[in-house]
Amino acid sequence: MATEITKEEIMAVYPKVAETMADALGCDVEDIKLDVSLIEGLDAESIDFLDMVFRLERAFKIKIPRGKIVENARGDLPEAEFEQKGIVTEKGLLQLKSYLSEIPDSRFKTPMKVADIPRLFTPETFCKLVIRAQREAAAAA
Amino acid sequence: MKLDPGLAGKRVVVTGGSRGIGRAIVEMLAGEGCDVTFFYRGNAEAAKEAVAAAGGNVTAEQLDVRDAAACAAAIERVMERGERIDILVNNAGIIRDNQLAALEDDDVTDVLDTNVGGVFNVTRAVVPYMIMQRAGRIINLSSVSASKGGRGQTNYAASKGAIEAFTRALAVELAPRNVLVNAVAPGVIETEMSQDVREMAGAEVKGRILLRRFGTPQDIACAVWFLASAYSSYVTGEILHVDGGFKME
Repeated sequence: MATEITKEEIMAVYPKVAETMADALGCDVEDIKLDVSLIEGLDAESIDFLDMVFRLERAFKIKIPRGKIVENARGDLPEAEFEQKGIVTEKGLLQLKSYLSEIPDSRFKTPMKVADIPRLFTPETFCKLVIRAQREAAAAA
Repeated sequence: MKLDPGLAGKRVVVTGGSRGIGRAIVEMLAGEGCDVTFFYRGNAEAAKEAVAAAGGNVTAEQLDVRDAAACAAAIERVMERGERIDILVNNAGIIRDNQLAALEDDDVTDVLDTNVGGVFNVTRAVVPYMIMQRAGRIINLSSVSASKGGRGQTNYAASKGAIEAFTRALAVELAPRNVLVNAVAPGVIETEMSQDVREMAGAEVKGRILLRRFGTPQDIACAVWFLASAYSSYVTGEILHVDGGFKME
């Protein structure tokens, strides 16, 4: 079981993540609040997510698997147990809530479409993504 | 009114730049003051000649576009030298003409891996930078074979049909970031690659070209120049046919 990501770890990467995300989204760094929804709050589109990942990779010198945030969220849960016909299962929702522990419960709608998962993402999600990638790089080294 | 093509100082990558159409593209863009890096597969002598002929700011690098990791590394090196890539010309391509029943496995895989796989490999390496730059031009070399059936060209035609579909789909993906994606579809051009066709059926083929002549590499370079320039800033997802009317016949 991976060690939980602490608030201190998140706050350590947040300023650089916020700056990088502001560049990708073309907004002010002050708009990148830790808990703002990237899609609903900052009008991010799918290409912006790619842009953010590319920029974070360069800024932190890490490798983030492209387009695999949802896959990572699934963890060890087989796809068939995580979702059925594009809808996240009950078991899947529990897994998702655990992976996206920064997102308040009220934002997880049921039934939840897999395609809607990115709507949950916030800058904190990306801070955690960076920390996980840093940990993986450190472990590999 | 005189428009500036806006090419001076642009950083360009051209695949398959040592000979034929690729070389003409390198020469034309270098002549406009672009900083050009071209890739060549194996003919170092031809590459050296192309660098010398182009003059200006031109770098040649050996690269097999079928090798995805090598493509990523080569693009990284281009970025290390200059921090941006404004224009990518996917020109590298091969032919292995034969009737379908006589094609060997390698005739199919070599053509598809180079003409389609190569475009994927190089473009995937370049696109993240263009997305971050919020600007870029990608120009793919298709062929009249994509839209006009020709005996002995199933492998080549399929590869170029794929490139045209790739061009349209990528244009949709990248439009929000002002990255324009277009293709040029040459007809029969006077290059080494088309030499066999021209020698075997030159008169017959020429008779089916409305303009009654083969194209020159410069004819194609001019079309690429247009799609790279500021003159085409409202053009994306297009296939520009430069074939003397061959497709019409």
